[in-house]
Amino acid sequence: MSSEHQDWLSAASDNQQLTAQQLDSLLQDTELQHKLERYHTIGAVLRREPQSALTINFADDFAARLADEPQYQLQSNRGLVRRIKTGLSYAANGRWLQPVAQGAIAAGVALMAVFGVQQYQQSPQQDSLSPLPLLQTQPVAGFATPVSLSQTTVGDRFAEQEQQAMLEQQKRLQALLNAHRQQVRVMEQAQQASHDVKDNNGTANDGQ
Amino acid sequence: MMRFSGLCSAIVLVVVSGLAQAGQEGWALFDKVQHAVKQYNFDTSFVVLKGGNADTYRWIHGVKGQQEIEHLIPLDTSGVDILRRDALVYYLLTDKPAFVTRGNSIPELPALLFEDKAVITELYNAVAGSSSVMSGRSAQLLRLTAKEGGRYHYWLWLDAETGFPLRIDTLSAQQNALERWLVTHMQISAEFPDTLQALLVAELPQPPAVAGHTVPQTAHQLTWLPQGFRQIAEPADLPQLADSLLSYWLLSDGLHQVSVFVQDSNRLPTQAFRDGATTIYVQTGEQLEITVIGPVSIEIARQLAAAVR
Repeated sequence: MSSEHQDWLSAASDNQQLTAQQLDSLLQDTELQHKLERYHTIGAVLRREPQSALTINFADDFAARLADEPQYQLQSNRGLVRRIKTGLSYAANGRWLQPVAQGAIAAGVALMAVFGVQQYQQSPQQDSLSPLPLLQTQPVAGFATPVSLSQTTVGDRFAEQEQQAMLEQQKRLQALLNAHRQQVRVMEQAQQASHDVKDNNGTANDGQ
Repeated sequence: MMRFSGLCSAIVLVVVSGLAQAGQEGWALFDKVQHAVKQYNFDTSFVVLKGGNADTYRWIHGVKGQQEIEHLIPLDTSGVDILRRDALVYYLLTDKPAFVTRGNSIPELPALLFEDKAVITELYNAVAGSSSVMSGRSAQLLRLTAKEGGRYHYWLWLDAETGFPLRIDTLSAQQNALERWLVTHMQISAEFPDTLQALLVAELPQPPAVAGHTVPQTAHQLTWLPQGFRQIAEPADLPQLADSLLSYWLLSDGLHQVSVFVQDSNRLPTQAFRDGATTIYVQTGEQLEITVIGPVSIEIARQLAAAVR
């Protein structure tokens, strides 16, 4: 009988269907109920299911623990900020921070002065001494740039062409500038001649 | 009323006579500086400041009896020694025979120190300025102000004792300094400089005979000249540019020279450059490229380029 009991109880612990009769006997017999609980526990252990730490009345325990917690006095952050501020203002009036603050102000003024002077120096120079791109008046040496076999991008080639054109232009202007200087050098005699012509014309005009 | 007009005329008279006296004083200073650079024995160094560039030269001058000699030596690596003996100027090249031209001054020196006073008075008003101390010497300012707009002004500082130029500033019409000529060392002595002794008697080539070459017939014409300028009838031949040059003219007002070159167009944008007081203006058109080079304002250069037909 007992083995018979064990059979259906064990089956019930494995989620087998119970007959109405079996269910009635289970509800009436507390020993059977304990046995079913034991079977469930055995099954859980065999299936390596962790035993639940939570008991049925865990919520009550939780409430009781919360009630036992001490109350913390939470304050806003303003107090802390104010404390730092007051500390700083006190320090700024204090002796140790004054030279530091003065140094910072002096550095600021120096920086302004440097920037101001640079700008002041730049503007008249741009106006007067180099309002235009300066021409390199000395003959440009080293025109022949080595031909590179390495790959160049299209952009590089454009830049190269542009540079080439600029060099070409500079070379041409240099030649013209030299020609101008040559003209001025040998001009004296021609000018002397034209002076005479002009003087002659001048006297002729005066005569009229 | 009579008294008032009398007072006015008296004031005007004083002002006019003051101005006239300042002018006379200015021209007297001008005579003094021209005399100093022609008559003294001196050994001096100067720098020419153009924008950020500085060129340094040594300039030695001597007079012995009727003979005058001066030697200009560039202290930078580029450039050639220039020697003048009376009316002949020699460019002493290292690898070629000396290049000889006729001239009573070295064109590389400031022209206004040597140019005929009559030419300068036509173009400039001279006003004596204040005194200052320069390089430890008392210097007198002389302002040469152009009579016409577009021409550069000159401010000269002269050694009060000798009249020797200590500094010459070239200023644009807007009074901006374009170029500065500044003496860094000066020694005036009674004796003829020893270094020039050998050069005075050295054997030097004769100048080429002045060939009466004709003015090149060009397809283009220059239809406008700036005030005071005239065309130089016989500009020098430029064999090195014979292939590329279509036409060229040389203009002069007696003190400044301007070249106008006409070439085939390279289709580069119209540009202007400046080398100290020298303006280089390139105007590019459909077929022609016109380059104007000379100590004139960009506006004058632009008008000159536009006047080529």
